[in-house]
Amino acid sequence: MSGKSLSSNNIGGIGGLYHWLFQDTMEGLRRRRALLGYLFLLPTLLGIFIFTAGPIFVSFGLSLYRWNIFKPPDFIALDNFERLLADRRVIVGLGNTLKFTVLAVASQVSLGLILALAVHRINRIWLRYYFRTAYFLPLLMSGASVAVFMGYIFHKEFGPLNYYLTLLGLPQIPWLTNSDLVMISIAIISAWRNLGFTFLIFLGGLANLSQEVLDAADVDGAQGLRRLWSVVIPLLSPQILFATVTGVIGALQVFDEPYIMTRGGPGNASRTLVMVMYEHAFKDIEFGYGSAIAIVVFLMILAMSAVQMWLWRNRVFYQ
Amino acid sequence: MSAEKKMSRRDLLKMAAAGGTGLVMSGLPVRVIAQDMVTIKVQTAGLDDNTLQPVADIQMARNPNVNVEWVVLTGIDHEEVAAKILALVAAGESIDVGYAATEACQLFAGQGLAAPLDDRITSDPDQDFWTDFFSDVHPSLTEAMMYEGSLYEPPRDFNAANMYFNTNVLAENGFEVPGEEWTKDDFLEIARGTTKKDDSGNTEVFGYAWTNRLWGSWMPWIFVAGGNLYTEERAPGGSWVWDGYYEGDMAADGRGGGFRWREPVANSAEVVEALQLVVDLWQEGVTPDIAMGTGQTLTGFYSTGLLCMTPAGGFWAGRLGNEGMAKGDFDVQYWPNWRNQKHQFGTGGHWLSTTSTAPDEAWDFMKIEVSHEGFQSSIFFNPVIITTPSRRSYSQADAFESTGPANSDVFYGTLDDHPSTSPIPAPPWSNPMTTIFTTYTGFAMSGEMGPQQALDEMQAELESLTNRQPQYYGDD
Repeated sequence: MSGKSLSSNNIGGIGGLYHWLFQDTMEGLRRRRALLGYLFLLPTLLGIFIFTAGPIFVSFGLSLYRWNIFKPPDFIALDNFERLLADRRVIVGLGNTLKFTVLAVASQVSLGLILALAVHRINRIWLRYYFRTAYFLPLLMSGASVAVFMGYIFHKEFGPLNYYLTLLGLPQIPWLTNSDLVMISIAIISAWRNLGFTFLIFLGGLANLSQEVLDAADVDGAQGLRRLWSVVIPLLSPQILFATVTGVIGALQVFDEPYIMTRGGPGNASRTLVMVMYEHAFKDIEFGYGSAIAIVVFLMILAMSAVQMWLWRNRVFYQ
Repeated sequence: MSAEKKMSRRDLLKMAAAGGTGLVMSGLPVRVIAQDMVTIKVQTAGLDDNTLQPVADIQMARNPNVNVEWVVLTGIDHEEVAAKILALVAAGESIDVGYAATEACQLFAGQGLAAPLDDRITSDPDQDFWTDFFSDVHPSLTEAMMYEGSLYEPPRDFNAANMYFNTNVLAENGFEVPGEEWTKDDFLEIARGTTKKDDSGNTEVFGYAWTNRLWGSWMPWIFVAGGNLYTEERAPGGSWVWDGYYEGDMAADGRGGGFRWREPVANSAEVVEALQLVVDLWQEGVTPDIAMGTGQTLTGFYSTGLLCMTPAGGFWAGRLGNEGMAKGDFDVQYWPNWRNQKHQFGTGGHWLSTTSTAPDEAWDFMKIEVSHEGFQSSIFFNPVIITTPSRRSYSQADAFESTGPANSDVFYGTLDDHPSTSPIPAPPWSNPMTTIFTTYTGFAMSGEMGPQQALDEMQAELESLTNRQPQYYGDD
């Protein structure tokens, strides 16, 4: 219809466009408003295109080349993807990343929920503020700093954690030097750092629960765990979905803690997929291959987010 | 509230315009001066207590038109710093002067990122400077900074893996610092004899400890067992430096144009035996679980009397002092003799980037750094030694007077008195090689693989890695 009105005026070029946009009609007004909206969106869209979508497209292009930055890139089609299917370090990295994701997200979400429920019951406002601040503080610390001091705390022979365990008569635990334990330890550390985020989301969710629904549950005699399981948790489902999806996205990109504390060791036991990507791209100077791994990580995040949204589609209740 | 006192939007805009014009005008003279300035970008590890600032100060005092801009790159170990430099280059950034230890010297040279310095040195009108410099620097350090016949970095510092002793722990257990000729068996006796365990079998004081990295770690044991990760051969060339600056120096005889590490030999019987030795010590509880890193964690444990022996170089002297260890609380000795007493070392220095837009000024910076003035003002060597000076005259006993160790002559003696001493293997692909080395060391030291299996798999990965590389070394 707009095209029709433009042509019906039979004015071409910039003049026509000007006339079309500034027509003194309701249509013209709507167009001007739309243009204004797009102008406001433009900086954000440009930012996304340049800093997010652009690098993704470039990475995808780069993944089809062999490139060591010092020589011109060689086009090798899908060879990098074929290579990573047989790369033991990539496969181990994938397994470790998935293991970490399950451990870290499960503990973050469950502990965050438990703590939020506990703090929500506190009546003293100042105490609530105290706990909110205390649980959120670790999130403000850089992952690298956390990894460095946690490396000391979790040190098998000289760390304070094992020191107190031995005072209790327990044996020293090789938190970071045992292949079976290292990912669990890193997940604990990551959960400690990120707990504040899920905790705050759940606390906010609890504060906004519908009082009518809760009162109705009381009238129906739902108390304790029954009330929690059948009323509170379903009402918190949007927050749980959000915490899970963002937690999984973050966990699939884990790098700081394992890289600084163990550098992927012992052996390959804590080597994650992003770490393998970093090593290939920046240590081995194989930017094409590193990009291929980056694309795999990207597709994995996309797929897992989509699967989660699909799995939760009938279980999320928006008030 | 009177209307006159209100500032209108127009007034505000006028003031802003006037202010902006003023700012631009005030910046103009600076710009005029700045046009004559030459800025060189130098890589450094940090701006707080910047160890290179004295060098920059000397250069800027001599030539006020030179401005030194710092590019701060830090890393857990040398290979990580090298990776960050590569990331910088990949991002289109450039530096004029970069730092590399042996670990990354051939990496930058092999990629064509570092420029050969032969012509700059031989055509330098101040030949006395270079005659003096090379006469003060052991030829093995110079050779370690060469690649295919050319020198890429004038050595500034080095560290050979010597054995450090906590003398208090030694004395408590009735031991003394051993003599120069001590052996692997002497080492084992001290390591086991100084290890203390509690009633439940947990070790409280460890006889020996090391960290998982390329330099140090268990590499010294590989060397004295008679092995190496790669075959070690010498590239031809380099006569310009040996004949031109080291003539008459017996230690320069037979040297070539840098090392070539071509064929992996990581699963040779000697290397397996060396790994078995350190695995046994770990299983006995003489050595703690082996962590990654540069040994900074160990510094604290060592200084608090929880460790007796560890491999380290001159860099530990000042650091232990900074940790509160008094002179006499620690000492050092050569690495123990096994099949031989071949020591390993790594050296460090700055390289000149081939992409430098101000190569002459960058070269001046490098030259000042290795001059007497540079060494005398360097924070690395003053007030205490935090890395061993490459110049012999700055590595003598007086340099360690305030901190110890008593046997500080061991540091340069490792080069002067042990002709077999050679650099850690560091081919142009040393970064991925290090990842493979530390990964399989981790497999063995966590008990996940036996030494033979770990080294067989390490060998296979090193072969695959080596085969993927372009030809970095010539055929001769």
